Amino acid sequence: MSNGDQFRELIEAYALGALDADERAAFEAHLATGCEDCAKALQEARWLVSQLGYLAPEAKPSELLKGKLMQTVRGEADTAAGRVSAKPKAAIRFWMWAGVAALLAVTVYSAWDARRLQKDIEETNKRAAAIVQQRAALQAELALAKRQARIMTDPKSKKFMLPAKDAQMPQLEAMWHPELGICVVGDKMPMPSANHVFQLWLIPKTPGSKPMPMQTFWPDSDGRMVHVVENPPEPMWNTSARAITEEPMGGSPLPTSEPMWVGGVS
Amino acid sequence: MFLAILTPKDPVDVSLDATLARRLLQKDVEAFEQLYERHSRIVYALALRILQQGSTAEEVVQDVFLQVWRNARHYDEQRGPFIPWLMTLARNRALDRLRLKSERQRRQESQTEELPTVVEAPQYEKDLDEKRRAERVRALMASLHPQQKKAIELAFFEGLSHSEIAESLKEPLGTVKSWIRNGLLRLKEGLQATS
Repeated sequence: MSNGDQFRELIEAYALGALDADERAAFEAHLATGCEDCAKALQEARWLVSQLGYLAPEAKPSELLKGKLMQTVRGEADTAAGRVSAKPKAAIRFWMWAGVAALLAVTVYSAWDARRLQKDIEETNKRAAAIVQQRAALQAELALAKRQARIMTDPKSKKFMLPAKDAQMPQLEAMWHPELGICVVGDKMPMPSANHVFQLWLIPKTPGSKPMPMQTFWPDSDGRMVHVVENPPEPMWNTSARAITEEPMGGSPLPTSEPMWVGGVS
Repeated sequence: MFLAILTPKDPVDVSLDATLARRLLQKDVEAFEQLYERHSRIVYALALRILQQGSTAEEVVQDVFLQVWRNARHYDEQRGPFIPWLMTLARNRALDRLRLKSERQRRQESQTEELPTVVEAPQYEKDLDEKRRAERVRALMASLHPQQKKAIELAFFEGLSHSEIAESLKEPLGTVKSWIRNGLLRLKEGLQATS
């Protein structure tokens, strides 16, 4: 008989709790040695003993007990849930800070974006103003072209020529409308000297009167020139001649050079 | 064998207990209520049989289920089924009450705050439902000699030791030891034979 066999007879009684103190102590000391056979047998014996509970006559506890128990359990579950929700408080704080940071970032971005938009608007306004200005210029140019066309075609206009003093230079042609003004047209004209422009002069009929300065102008790169004097200071009948001189940039109140083109009304 | 026909196997119940017990770890009140509905009767019946008093038995039921609720982590489903663990817990609590009631502190081994060990069911018992087990145990115990059955019941329901049983039954100590051991072995054989 091995040491383990000696205790085999005690296993069921031990599981049942029926061993007297001395036998129980001896068996527990044996278990403490690590006897696997006895430990395994004890497991089965414990299960077997637990089955004896089915010998109890059937009975049912009161509903009151269940109510009381469930109340306790629910209370403890709520408390546990409260403890669990305590952690999210820290998380909420974290998210609050995260929210503040996000809000700050959005604010900064919004300010930057607003400034960018403002710049865009300013640029757009500038471009719009330039377009308006360009359009106004085009409209003015169109109006001038229409005026030129009317001056050149209207039967009321009087034509006069402006022959060049220098035979190498082209002759200019002009039309004077009593209401629309004077239109001077030229082709293959030379460019004025550096820092100089051409200037038109009206020579009054009144003896001793000084030449009246008109606008300055210059031909385009192809030598073409169309110049309109919208409101001549003197009526056509009160002028004896028209002349064009080369003047410093900005024009002169009186001619500073000899006329390059001179002509009377035809 | 006829009991096996009357009560079909229901292995699902075993895993359901394990599932419900696992849910207790999450403080799942609904899982607790289901466990209570499933097993409060057997716990109460056992406590009442030991204590012979309804109000004290209900206190034990309350104590046992609160232990389950609060210490669900002590139940390891890998080591064995829930019911034997619960019944052992109920018996220990009821016997503690009984000893306290009778001021009989004959054992230093107090299990007042100690939870029972989870034990694995034998292979032949793993898939049996509670009702079938109860009927089989009762039938097998009824087949024992009345004194043999009485000795086992005194140990199980009243927590008496071999000596106390011998004294109670006016029988020799050796006889009582044999009755109890042989009776339990016969119960075991009977359970194996009827599986």
